[in-house]
Amino acid sequence: MLLNSVVIILREVLEAALLMSVFLASARFLQTRNRWAISALVAGAIGAATYGFFLEPVSDLFDGVGQEVCNAILQYGAFASLAAVAFHIPRRANNLKSSPATIVALMALTVTLAITREGAEILVYVSGFWNVSDFFSAVALGSVIGACIGFSVGVLIYYLLLAQPIKWALPTSVLLIHLIAAGMASQATRLLIQADWIPAAGPMWDTSSILSEQSLTGQLLYALVGYEASPSGIEVVAYVGSVLIVATAYFAGKFSSQPARDEME
Amino acid sequence: MKQIMRIGKSRLSVIAFLILLVAPSYASTPEFEIEIRNHLFLPDTLTIPAGVKVKLVIYNRDATPEEFESYELNREKVILGGRKAIVFIGPLAPGEYPFFGEFNPQTALGTILVVAEADAAK
Repeated sequence: MLLNSVVIILREVLEAALLMSVFLASARFLQTRNRWAISALVAGAIGAATYGFFLEPVSDLFDGVGQEVCNAILQYGAFASLAAVAFHIPRRANNLKSSPATIVALMALTVTLAITREGAEILVYVSGFWNVSDFFSAVALGSVIGACIGFSVGVLIYYLLLAQPIKWALPTSVLLIHLIAAGMASQATRLLIQADWIPAAGPMWDTSSILSEQSLTGQLLYALVGYEASPSGIEVVAYVGSVLIVATAYFAGKFSSQPARDEME
Repeated sequence: MKQIMRIGKSRLSVIAFLILLVAPSYASTPEFEIEIRNHLFLPDTLTIPAGVKVKLVIYNRDATPEEFESYELNREKVILGGRKAIVFIGPLAPGEYPFFGEFNPQTALGTILVVAEADAAK
């Protein structure tokens, strides 16, 4: 029971922790204060509690696939918000005197959406054991351990990013933002396939023998870049398309904020 | 006015055509039921045909929530206590696809057995 809870909570916390560490590091490079993180955590907690509370009626929507649709909306929303962050990062980097209000709000929105989805699942899991006193202490302890491991991984990534040479630090964060965004969009697409809103097809390939999704590395890569051992064609298209959309947003932001625009072409 | 009518009609026929295109696939989606009872899947082995999309209806008869999860099927869905959930899977190649209940992974274990149509008829 204890180990189960560690794994379940860790998996949910990991995605949000990685997202936050990349944002916190980026915000440092962009000389922005990190107070937004507190607001995002609070807003995310409120969102998660609300979603968790209404999960039953939400699940019944759209002939029983409301959960998939709602999660997909949250994921696509976080993706769009991440793409907007990618647009604003170079603009802010090129002009550190500009107001950071927009980029800060977008980072907070992305984290809020991520925590709402993952937090709701944690609440449903933990509350399921609320009345089972035999298990509850084990589940509670396991959850705390899982959350702490997830948090530690986030802190580790944060300091790894800060330890990079200045030249590489921001580009690395931007690259991670591309991959996190693409992972979110392909997961959302998979949810719509599961709901039968997007036509299903067989997997394009299967790398589960090389790297299992169940392994620790697999789990970490799933959280970080949306690793999927046997993705369908539409998921692959969604992934690649998302990387291109975020890259377009990034370069649009980069070139629109540079005075010497002609030289770049 | 006439032109507008014509556009309206052609659009209608396009919509009607699309509905006809989609409708049969919905009608022919085979449905299978699984129950969760005392943190066990019943049946724990479900045989489904290869190459077609299948609708799984999972009833959670326990009071506690469960998460239907499968790495092989790329599926995960929370099912609250006393509720049912719908999960579409496939089309799949013949083979074994394990699934489990993430909230009770020691006991809630099952397998989707995908067989070719010819084998299923035997």
